[in-house]
Amino acid sequence: MGVLEIKQLYKSFGNREVLKGLDMDVPEHSIFGFVGQNGAGKTTTMKIILGLLKPDSGSVTVCGEKVTYGESKANRHIGFLPDVPEFYGYMNPMEYLKLCGEIAGLSKTRIKSKSEELLELVGLKDQKKRIGGFSRGMKQRLGIAQALLNEPKLLICDEPTSALDPIGRKEILDILLAAKGKTTIVFSTHILSDVERICDRIAVLHDGKLALCGTLSEIKERHRLHGFILEFESEETASCFENAEELKQPLISLSRDGSTVKVLMKDCDMDGHFLLGVLSQKRIVPLKFAVMEPTLESLFIEVVR
Amino acid sequence: MKGYLAFLKKELFEYAKTYKLFIMLIIFAVFGITNPLIAKLMPEIVKSFITDGVVITLPEPSAYDAWTQFFKNATQMGLIVMVILFSGVLSSELSKGTLINLLTKGLFRTAVILSKYTCMVLVWTISIVLCFGLTYGYTVYLFPQGETSNLLFSVFCLWLFGLFLLAALLFSATLTGNSYGGLLITGAVVVVCMIMNIIPNVHRYNPISLATDNMGLVLNSIEASSLYSTIMISCLLSLIFVSLSIVIFRKKQL
Repeated sequence: MGVLEIKQLYKSFGNREVLKGLDMDVPEHSIFGFVGQNGAGKTTTMKIILGLLKPDSGSVTVCGEKVTYGESKANRHIGFLPDVPEFYGYMNPMEYLKLCGEIAGLSKTRIKSKSEELLELVGLKDQKKRIGGFSRGMKQRLGIAQALLNEPKLLICDEPTSALDPIGRKEILDILLAAKGKTTIVFSTHILSDVERICDRIAVLHDGKLALCGTLSEIKERHRLHGFILEFESEETASCFENAEELKQPLISLSRDGSTVKVLMKDCDMDGHFLLGVLSQKRIVPLKFAVMEPTLESLFIEVVR
Repeated sequence: MKGYLAFLKKELFEYAKTYKLFIMLIIFAVFGITNPLIAKLMPEIVKSFITDGVVITLPEPSAYDAWTQFFKNATQMGLIVMVILFSGVLSSELSKGTLINLLTKGLFRTAVILSKYTCMVLVWTISIVLCFGLTYGYTVYLFPQGETSNLLFSVFCLWLFGLFLLAALLFSATLTGNSYGGLLITGAVVVVCMIMNIIPNVHRYNPISLATDNMGLVLNSIEASSLYSTIMISCLLSLIFVSLSIVIFRKKQL
């Protein structure tokens, strides 16, 4: 059983249907990348998980507990980092974490030790000034600290890196990676390089449903193009290979760019051995022989189109 | 309950840190001090404006004048300042999204509404007690011979009207989700109460009597018992407003 289970979730705003039967299952101790275009419904889904929005139909379960709209008891298993976390500007980080801890029902000593530990983790330990004067990156880091305060089984981050500079982004991603052992992380984004950097599972939300879901390697395997890239010493050898009789088949498409040839095969039964055969027949040794890996970007565009 | 106390502490901290508490206390303290002073000095002030040839006989100022000033200032300026100061009670948190973090920490929405109301009531109570204390002290000092009746009861009525107004404010703030809407509906509630007051039989049950009959009580021209039904109605209405706020807030999509 997963930490988070979503079944047949529907939600519309006015007559705009945002979620049309979303099913999702997040297993324990994974970093789950939740990808989708702007306006695809990522934030809506997260708010429903948190009981902040009311779904039209469908059910959400967190750690075996059903999410109810309004006053959701399942929230005690969840830590949430909103896309733009807002705090009370007149407090300092320690005061704010104390308030959060009291609300979450932690003991005084626990709040103190946990706050110090987390502020250390997010690099705000010696920050005594009021949150009102914080930069966006600092707020985001404090946001992670408050989300992790009650040691949630599920950490939900809504586009945590979207508005940050490269260093801030790297820091946030490192913090999330560090938290991985202790909690399950669902993290929405449209920055695919972030997903590739830290996620082990991804789901692509498109048109109100999951268009793609699984571990990163699984998905890449499933969407592997039967293509190869060959690089040769010179353009002559490249064109010699390109013009080989064996390759003149309707199922094979070739494209040459200088001394590099791309081979795409539409027939799944054909594979690299065939090309290697051609090469050895022609007595050509390529400089490079590589299988084309699908990039997440190409997958995303393919799915969303 | 834990959430309620923690959030109440945060609310008090907020009023202190954002100077709202300070402003309330200063304003009510100034009223408290000036009420008896103005009563005492009014004849002098009027005299200085009188040109030769006009003869006006002014009655000797008394404790009643001090209390007239008290009830006038507290009910008009005081309540208005309070309502404006508290108008952002919910809207600022809703529009900024500061509540989201805490609600997802397991804070119950009921606790949010209840602690917000408690905190407003606390601030109002401290302010009115301060104002009353100062006015009382100075009045006794400046008009030692003054005698009043039903004074505490009359102040209690005013305090209760404040509670009613705060409940209405909380309700309208929850309903509209922004501070202007909150002010508008609260204003409308007061206006409706005032218009209703024109109907003679309604006066006995109208919450606004709590803020208009105070001097009558002090002068003993109005019986305390005539306000009992109004008190009941006001308590009931406040309770309804607060309960409705909770119900609406629990259903609100954030």
